[in-house]
Amino acid sequence: MNDRPNEVPQVTWKGYLALLLAVLFFSGLFAKSPNWLKVLDFTALNGSFGTIAEQFTFRGSGGVGARDGFLFSLELMPAVILALGIIRVVEGFGGLEAARQLLTPLLRPLLGIPGAAGLALVASLQSTDAGAVMTKQLVESRQLTDDERTVFATWQMSADATITNYFSSGAALFAFLLVPIVIPLLVMFVFKFVGATLMRLYLRRVGGRRAA
Amino acid sequence: MAEHAQPVRKTILDLFVEGARQGWKIATTQTMPNVVMAFVIIQALKITGLMDLIGMVFRPIMGLWGLPGEAATVLLAAFMSMGGGVGVAAGLYTSGILDAADITVIIPAIFLMGSLVQYMGRCLGTADVNARYWGVIIGIAILNALLAMWVMRLILLFV
Repeated sequence: MNDRPNEVPQVTWKGYLALLLAVLFFSGLFAKSPNWLKVLDFTALNGSFGTIAEQFTFRGSGGVGARDGFLFSLELMPAVILALGIIRVVEGFGGLEAARQLLTPLLRPLLGIPGAAGLALVASLQSTDAGAVMTKQLVESRQLTDDERTVFATWQMSADATITNYFSSGAALFAFLLVPIVIPLLVMFVFKFVGATLMRLYLRRVGGRRAA
Repeated sequence: MAEHAQPVRKTILDLFVEGARQGWKIATTQTMPNVVMAFVIIQALKITGLMDLIGMVFRPIMGLWGLPGEAATVLLAAFMSMGGGVGVAAGLYTSGILDAADITVIIPAIFLMGSLVQYMGRCLGTADVNARYWGVIIGIAILNALLAMWVMRLILLFV
């Protein structure tokens, strides 16, 4: 983050392309593709470990405790490294700016907060701290009211730093999922908006009582 | 060309390696310690027989989402830290207590109600959110998680 985090960076076509490719890549939609399209799938690029004794991975089977956990975590590491590598590429090509551009017009209708919060919203998908600092600055520069901040914070708090956490911590569980990896992510996004809406309703109720 | 681009242009390879390095850091400093911690805790709970007890006590509650009682440990750990929740979920999966469907149901909940303890400071504190609403915000995050598990259960009916 730079010194003036709420200054809006430019969006390029490369950004939209990078965002589109990222969405396809992490969606899991091509996981079962029989042809070359599989190259667009996270799990396919993450690959698989070779087997030892034609039966077991290097972790073997039947282990317990710290030793088993240690070897198991080695199995999880490539997914985390691959996911963060791809996300950095998307970020570098301006994919997140594209996401901000697409999300900004939705803020007023969905969250009741001004479009100026778009940058903070996208930042909060990557970093809890960046999102929180930028939110505070929006209030200080009078672009956000106190109640709008409360709604926005409710949106951020539930599954904060969504992208970073899901694709770093969560990647450890991707191999076990029965649905494409994008589905839980979409469900999380829906509920971020559900939660914020509940907060809006709550504020309206206590606000009405305060006025009465 | 974007004007705000770095003075020295990074190639796609540079960017990937940069991210991969960050991934390595997260994998070694977060994933591995969290997973080892979770495996040790699970092992300790099993040795002491507490895991069976937790399974029994929480069976009626977690049963609402078609999950075994032991799944409650995932949510409790997640509330403290997302990484911990993921670690416990992975540990319970490898020891056969949770199956793939259970993991699929619980994964959004790990994040929706995840790390709330530390995010109170890092998000609500930093953003200076009116303290009288903190409780409601935490409650909503937990409600999000619980509702999301039903949605995942519903989605699983169609796959």
